[in-house]
Amino acid sequence: MQPPAQTQAPQDGYAGDEPSYAKAVLNILEDYSEERSRQIDSHRAVLNILDDFDIEKSKVEAANRRLEERTAELGRSNEELERFAYAASHDLQEPLRMITSYTQLLARRYRGRLDSDADEFIDFVVDGATRMSALIRDVLDFSRVGSSPPELTWTACEQVLERALANLRGVVGETGALVTHGPLPTVLADAAQFVQLFQNLIDNGVKFCLETPPRVHIAAQPADDGWTFTFRDNGIGVSGAHHARIFQVFQQLHSRAYPGTGIGLATCKKIVDRHGGHLWVESEPGSGSTFSFTLPDRPTAPVAPPRPAARDTA
Amino acid sequence: MRATPVRVLLVEDNPGDVRLIREALAGSKALMCIDVVSDGEQALAFLRREGTFADAAPPHLVLLDLNLPVLDGREMLAAMAADPALRDIPVVVLTTSAAQNDIRGCYELNANCYLTKPTDLDEFVRVVQLVENLWLSTAKLPEPVSP
Repeated sequence: MQPPAQTQAPQDGYAGDEPSYAKAVLNILEDYSEERSRQIDSHRAVLNILDDFDIEKSKVEAANRRLEERTAELGRSNEELERFAYAASHDLQEPLRMITSYTQLLARRYRGRLDSDADEFIDFVVDGATRMSALIRDVLDFSRVGSSPPELTWTACEQVLERALANLRGVVGETGALVTHGPLPTVLADAAQFVQLFQNLIDNGVKFCLETPPRVHIAAQPADDGWTFTFRDNGIGVSGAHHARIFQVFQQLHSRAYPGTGIGLATCKKIVDRHGGHLWVESEPGSGSTFSFTLPDRPTAPVAPPRPAARDTA
Repeated sequence: MRATPVRVLLVEDNPGDVRLIREALAGSKALMCIDVVSDGEQALAFLRREGTFADAAPPHLVLLDLNLPVLDGREMLAAMAADPALRDIPVVVLTTSAAQNDIRGCYELNANCYLTKPTDLDEFVRVVQLVENLWLSTAKLPEPVSP
């Protein structure tokens, strides 16, 4: 602000010097007016900044809304896919049952009565149909896990184990497998999914066996905010390079030498993930495997879908 | 041992399954007579002795698949439960679905037993023979009411 123009020292007021008085007032008014102008410019600049900020803010809000919509769309699309997988596998079972049943009937009733080529052909058909049946059943189990959120109830794991073993009666009987366990807790979990989880882990532990009888030992340890379950087997083991791969769908390490559809472990991972836990394996070829998973005391589905694990170099 | 054959109404639209069930029941010692209809509407007409089924002999037991054309098994069960003349006829559901809401729904509609069709042939035969053993050879069933 410029100093006011020099004025003559007032002498008994300005009465005797009207032109300089008027000039002084005019100067003051001019200065004031310039100052006002500058203030208005400042204000305008601030308002412009605020406007820009508002514009940026709405851009960010719009982007956020699009992101939320996209996420909701993906969620819906995912659910649709899971429902489709469930419906498709369910509907595929019936015609498959016809193929399996009648080729088995053919095999039985006409074995030795047609030529040996026919016997062999029938065997291939029955084998193919049986494998397809197992695949469809496993896809059904896998998609069922995703089709609804886990129904959490107080679940006694010892009973879960009994149920799983009952379902595995055939496999356990055939292989002479020995399944043992330490004390198992009662936890908050989806009981049906836990049966599936235990069943798949035991089945996996039993079918890739090195020595007979296959053994699986199940234990549970309290962890920081929940439990850690371990399934230890004396099977063929898994090399470190493949530890991540085995939990992916259809990733089988041995094509026909050992039975399996390549979905069982992926289903286990899905169940554990949906309970907010983590599933992993410790294993070396030839020395069995220990599959472990955590279960938080308060199981929740993960808030954001877990980022896919980095692709294995295997 | 019964003197007169036990009568079963098989409500099943898949001819492959009809044959399998007949094969599985063939070895039974019980004297048995199986009538087959392929949808729920025909099944109700059979039970009510309507139209072409005017001379039908009433069954002791209904063996019911849920997935049927025209009127599905669930709707047929509901119609039977609502009809005082049909309510007491024992129904064994033999179907592909293992879904809890199907199972619960059928029991709520007075189904006596719910069975899922096994995918394996031997298991399928075993289950059908279990049904025969329990429901047709062992359990006491109400004598069907003749008009």
